[in-house]
Amino acid sequence: MKRSLLGAAVAATLAVPLPASAADSADTAEIKRMIEQMKADYEQKIEALEQRLKATEQKAETAADTAEDAKQASAASTAEQKRSGIGALTSGTGFNPKMSVILDGNYYHDDADGEGTELLGEAFRAGAGHGHEEEGGGHAHGGADNGFNFREAEIWFGATVDPYFDASATLAVDSDGDVELEEAFFQTRALPAGFKVKAGKFFSDIGYINRQHPHEWDFTDQNLVHQNLFGFNLADTGMQVTWLPELPFYTLLGFEAFQGDQERFGALVEDEEEREELNIDDEDDGPRLFTGFIKVAPDLGYNHALQLGAFVAHSTQSQLIGEIDEEEAGFDGDQTLWGLDLVYKYDSPRPHGAGDFVLQSEYLYDQKDLKLTAFEADPSLEGRDREFTTDGWYLQGWYGIAPRWQLGLRYDVLGLTNEAEGVGGNEDFDESDRWTLGLTYRPSEFSLLRFNAATADIVTNEDGDTEGFDYFYLQYILSLGSHGAHKF
Amino acid sequence: MNLIKRLGLLALLLPGIAWADLDVVATTSSTGALVREIGGAQVTLTILAPPDRDTHYLQARPSMIRALRDADLVTALGADLEVGWLPVAIEQAANPAILPGRSGYFEAATQVDLLDVGGPADRALGDVHPAGNPHINMDPVRMAEVARALAERLATLDGAHAADYRARAEAFAQRVDERVATWRQQLASPPGAVSFHKDVTYLLDRFGVPFWGTIEPVPGVSPTASHLRALINELQGQGQAGVVLSTTYQPEQAPASVAETLGWRQVRLPLEPPLDADGDGYLAHMQRWVDALAPGG
Repeated sequence: MKRSLLGAAVAATLAVPLPASAADSADTAEIKRMIEQMKADYEQKIEALEQRLKATEQKAETAADTAEDAKQASAASTAEQKRSGIGALTSGTGFNPKMSVILDGNYYHDDADGEGTELLGEAFRAGAGHGHEEEGGGHAHGGADNGFNFREAEIWFGATVDPYFDASATLAVDSDGDVELEEAFFQTRALPAGFKVKAGKFFSDIGYINRQHPHEWDFTDQNLVHQNLFGFNLADTGMQVTWLPELPFYTLLGFEAFQGDQERFGALVEDEEEREELNIDDEDDGPRLFTGFIKVAPDLGYNHALQLGAFVAHSTQSQLIGEIDEEEAGFDGDQTLWGLDLVYKYDSPRPHGAGDFVLQSEYLYDQKDLKLTAFEADPSLEGRDREFTTDGWYLQGWYGIAPRWQLGLRYDVLGLTNEAEGVGGNEDFDESDRWTLGLTYRPSEFSLLRFNAATADIVTNEDGDTEGFDYFYLQYILSLGSHGAHKF
Repeated sequence: MNLIKRLGLLALLLPGIAWADLDVVATTSSTGALVREIGGAQVTLTILAPPDRDTHYLQARPSMIRALRDADLVTALGADLEVGWLPVAIEQAANPAILPGRSGYFEAATQVDLLDVGGPADRALGDVHPAGNPHINMDPVRMAEVARALAERLATLDGAHAADYRARAEAFAQRVDERVATWRQQLASPPGAVSFHKDVTYLLDRFGVPFWGTIEPVPGVSPTASHLRALINELQGQGQAGVVLSTTYQPEQAPASVAETLGWRQVRLPLEPPLDADGDGYLAHMQRWVDALAPGG
């Protein structure tokens, strides 16, 4: 509309000065034709100008913003592209994996002469055997002396390998410089129908806390159940298949097969002479350890999240050297563990976690189903069954009392059921439990300071002798490098 | 079990086949508003982050993973804003179609030029993101550009409605142009502004509102008394009244006390439009910010 108005105006301006008394009709026609021609020309030109103007207006908006950036960018790129004629054209270090380093240290004190963390890792379980499991659950995971401790520097590398695989490796270096490969695995990216396959060495996805690294825990140390049944957590070499079906709410099904190289769950008698002497089978070929799990999470909107899970782990071999009436006895069989997990989280709109609330609980039930393989005191009993059962649970919660501050409470107990049944008679053992209070402060997303105070009653032997002690941690966790992942 | 029940179960299990429209998951309600505006009736939309949360600090919740599992397209603001949770959620969703680099992954920040690009990658300077300031949802002009790019992406995924998508993007861009022209007049002589975090930078930059600093000393770190004192001294030196901006999920106290000490106006508004916003909802949301910034607003 604007265009035709302008065109008319131009035509009118041109037309006005023409003498009204133009000689003959031929001339008039010629002039009219010329005017029409000019009018069309101008219209075209004006249209072109308008279009250019419009384009310029649009460009001008962003041009000012980008001009400076563009200048810098072009300067940088020309510098990059300047060729010396020697050397190689390479992407150099551009393909480095993402990496992060997490420093985790503490000041620790207990009133058990510094033996506290060892006691916590050796709470008495039915059928624990003696001398054939590694002590204390490994120094790198939770062992602490009275005074300053550096728990670990966790070094993580991760990258997408190609369109088909992601891979990562996590190394833990303790204060002595000993390096442990915590995880190193790859996982598929492109499988259809909600399937994913993972293989390598990794933390099992059974339950909730099992796959967390120590710096992800809400309390400084591991709960008594995982600490004692797995010696920290269930981690092994193997593979995992998960399936996320298109159901109306989140449902994850998983299956894992592991080598079964465990210190506790499905532990084997390592010494060949002892095995022969006690008529215990040799180690079977792997995989010997299998797990299955399901996690279900109804959609409860933006404020609430709930995840429920159930899982089972089975070791096809489990062996131990125990005692019947204080006489040495060899046992061989298999072992099964099942468990339930629950996590509820409330997400408050208040700043930096104020008002947030998390409740988390797991129950584990572990049973060794063994046969007496050797019993010199009474060989007639050999071949008969003996079952060792230990269960336990923990319940923990925390609340965001202020921005960046969390107050937490945990109760954990091992051995509500803690019994041996079958050949050699039935025995029932006591339970170990603990209360922990925690206060966490996060100055920024990348640092954390934590105070934990706990009081524990730990059963140390089959007679039910109990060691009661208190301890506290002052802990720091610092995260360097790649932005951390906020896993659920 | 009878046949009808079985068929019912099948329909439940295979919604992707049962419905022809695009299943789009947006991280925030601002990109959600664009999806609603451009996608119209051809999309079903799920928004992962409610407007009253800080999008930088969310967790990859199971419900997000479920939503991403059968999504045809995920739209993010990007530039590391959702870095803590979106990559984890996408990884766990086992849906190859929405992996970054595929046509099912759309990051708004990659469609426009960003501010605050570069700078040292040094966390002594806080939670910095050298890729650029990700809060482009506060610039209507850039969002119109994003809408055009989104239309192209939807056209790629659903060629049958390509013309509709493009036409809606153009119409939206035109509405933005008209509103921006009005807002320029409204903000012809703007006050200076301080904000809690550098999350309103794009808005201030677009309308030439002088930016006088942030309440937090560096990104992601809570305000300290000494920083606030220094800031107040500096602002008093401006010799001209301004406005103190913060968003609803940020701490209330520090912005309020700065505003009170200086005798300035305080504005506290959500950074993201309401969950049900479409293009007009988004513009209404921006109108609130402009009104609040405008002198006498």
